[in-house]
Amino acid sequence: MQPIDTSARVVEVVQHPLPYYSLVLDGPEAWSATLPGQFVMVECSDGLEPYLRRALSVHDVSKTDRGARIELLVKIVGPGTRALAAKRPGDRVAVLGPLGRPFGPAGGVASDGDVPADTRPVALVAGGVGSAPLLLLGRRLLDEGVCFDFFYGGRGAVDLARLQAFTAIAEASGGTLIATTEDGSAGQRGLVTAPLGERLAAGRYRKIFSCGPMGLMKRLAEMSAEHGVAGEAALETPMGCGFGACLGCAVELMDGRFALCCKDGPVFASDEVKW
Amino acid sequence: MSGTGDPDARRRPDLAVRLGGLSLPNPILTASGTFGYGLEFAHLAALDRLGGIVTKGLSLQPLKGNPPPRIGEPRGGMLNSIGLQNIGIEKFLAEVLPGLGRFPAQVVVNLFGYEFDDYARLAERVDASAGVAAVELNVSCPNVTKGGIEFGHDPVLLERLVRSVRNVTAKPIAVKLSPNVTSPVAIGEAAKAGGADILSAINTVLGMAIDPWTRRPRLHTTRGGLSGPAIKPIAVRIVYDVAKKVGLPVIGIGGVETVDDVIEFLLAGASAVQVGTALFRNPRTAENLVDGLAARLVEMKVERVSDLVGGVLPWREG
Repeated sequence: MQPIDTSARVVEVVQHPLPYYSLVLDGPEAWSATLPGQFVMVECSDGLEPYLRRALSVHDVSKTDRGARIELLVKIVGPGTRALAAKRPGDRVAVLGPLGRPFGPAGGVASDGDVPADTRPVALVAGGVGSAPLLLLGRRLLDEGVCFDFFYGGRGAVDLARLQAFTAIAEASGGTLIATTEDGSAGQRGLVTAPLGERLAAGRYRKIFSCGPMGLMKRLAEMSAEHGVAGEAALETPMGCGFGACLGCAVELMDGRFALCCKDGPVFASDEVKW
Repeated sequence: MSGTGDPDARRRPDLAVRLGGLSLPNPILTASGTFGYGLEFAHLAALDRLGGIVTKGLSLQPLKGNPPPRIGEPRGGMLNSIGLQNIGIEKFLAEVLPGLGRFPAQVVVNLFGYEFDDYARLAERVDASAGVAAVELNVSCPNVTKGGIEFGHDPVLLERLVRSVRNVTAKPIAVKLSPNVTSPVAIGEAAKAGGADILSAINTVLGMAIDPWTRRPRLHTTRGGLSGPAIKPIAVRIVYDVAKKVGLPVIGIGGVETVDDVIEFLLAGASAVQVGTALFRNPRTAENLVDGLAARLVEMKVERVSDLVGGVLPWREG
């Protein structure tokens, strides 16, 4: 669908342990066609800081009586995300979207009669607020009847925002949630790549979907290659416009070309990106 | 002509402007590099209401641009170093220009070269295209080591460069001035001597920003071009100086976002303005300015927008 620029109404700002929150917005019915991995550009301030909108992943979407409602899972990292955290119910914010290329299929479907379908689960891997686009992906996988495990890594317990929602959806799909923190304040102590690596070695997964810090996604791309498992990653870059005009969000690909994170991404095949 | 006494006639101010050989339905254009090739905005903005569209800078060959990060956001503006990434003139003429033909907005093609001869070759290539209303020469991009910047900083070289373009095209030539020189007026005069019809002022202001935590420059190229509201007073000053002293029509560029901004540039001496970075914040900024300007002229009881050009009032004579 074509993105829509709309004046959305703030329904509420749901506080999670700081610095995380959910911004819930009401907008046009067309938003309900938002696909997992897509994002919106949100105007954060009326003033000069930040001057440009912020790109935020759509965390969840639902229909309402008169339109659609989206939830954005946000971490306060600067003046834009701080300004949005101070919005009140009834405030209006300019929202352009949905934008970008969504997550692809879970794969594993038999392409010809001789090869049986790959019915192994898929792995969803989130680093901190990188979990934002993975709830909607989880919902899609649930609809498709695909079992998935959800790996959720953070520095500490506060970085595992919406942990219960992710646990519930992973279990509903027949999978489990594996949490890790670097300080050991929740789940297993250590990096999320450790438990993932064990299960990859055991051949448990047919595909990895991820979103998080660049370092994590680079490591996941290496693990995908080592184990011969397909991977897709949703990237985050500074973005000026969100629709391919400013050319500010370049991502270097393995073939040397620059792709645009906003139009060619934000989801890329993990072997496509020069990490 | 409409009859006298038609009350509506007074409600529709004349927004048309003429800059040398370039006639525009209204004085609001989109700035190079901020509106793609036009069609990127077709579903987000009403292209049919704009005065003109200035394309992303085009070169003879496609360019892949600079490595990321390419943008930063200092307070009140945007710092960029895109590196003139573009699809190349041939692809533009074959695939994009025909799609722009259905809009009344005039298409101004922004051109840049690495070598002296590139500019004339580009202009020659464009000269036969009826869909191109004018060319704008980018001789002032701060983001590539050889992006024409030496031409825009050297009056002798610039005069020769503009003349080489003048020799191959009858289309109006705009020269985009750099603010990063001691005397934009001297550069503007050189452009005029070479045969330029219009001066576009200004290109981005050379800037730099550093992330205090990572200690790295915000841009991969370290330096980049600052745009947005932060640079408007610099742009107004240069438009004022150039309009007064060079005597060519001027297109004002730099932080244009509100009707007040447009009026300010017109009063300083610009005959039209280009909207740039504000389009990233709101893709409808340019068309909103067309409506807002018309309403403001009614409020000001000004019949023709051209009546405002250069109308700044001095505090004292001399």
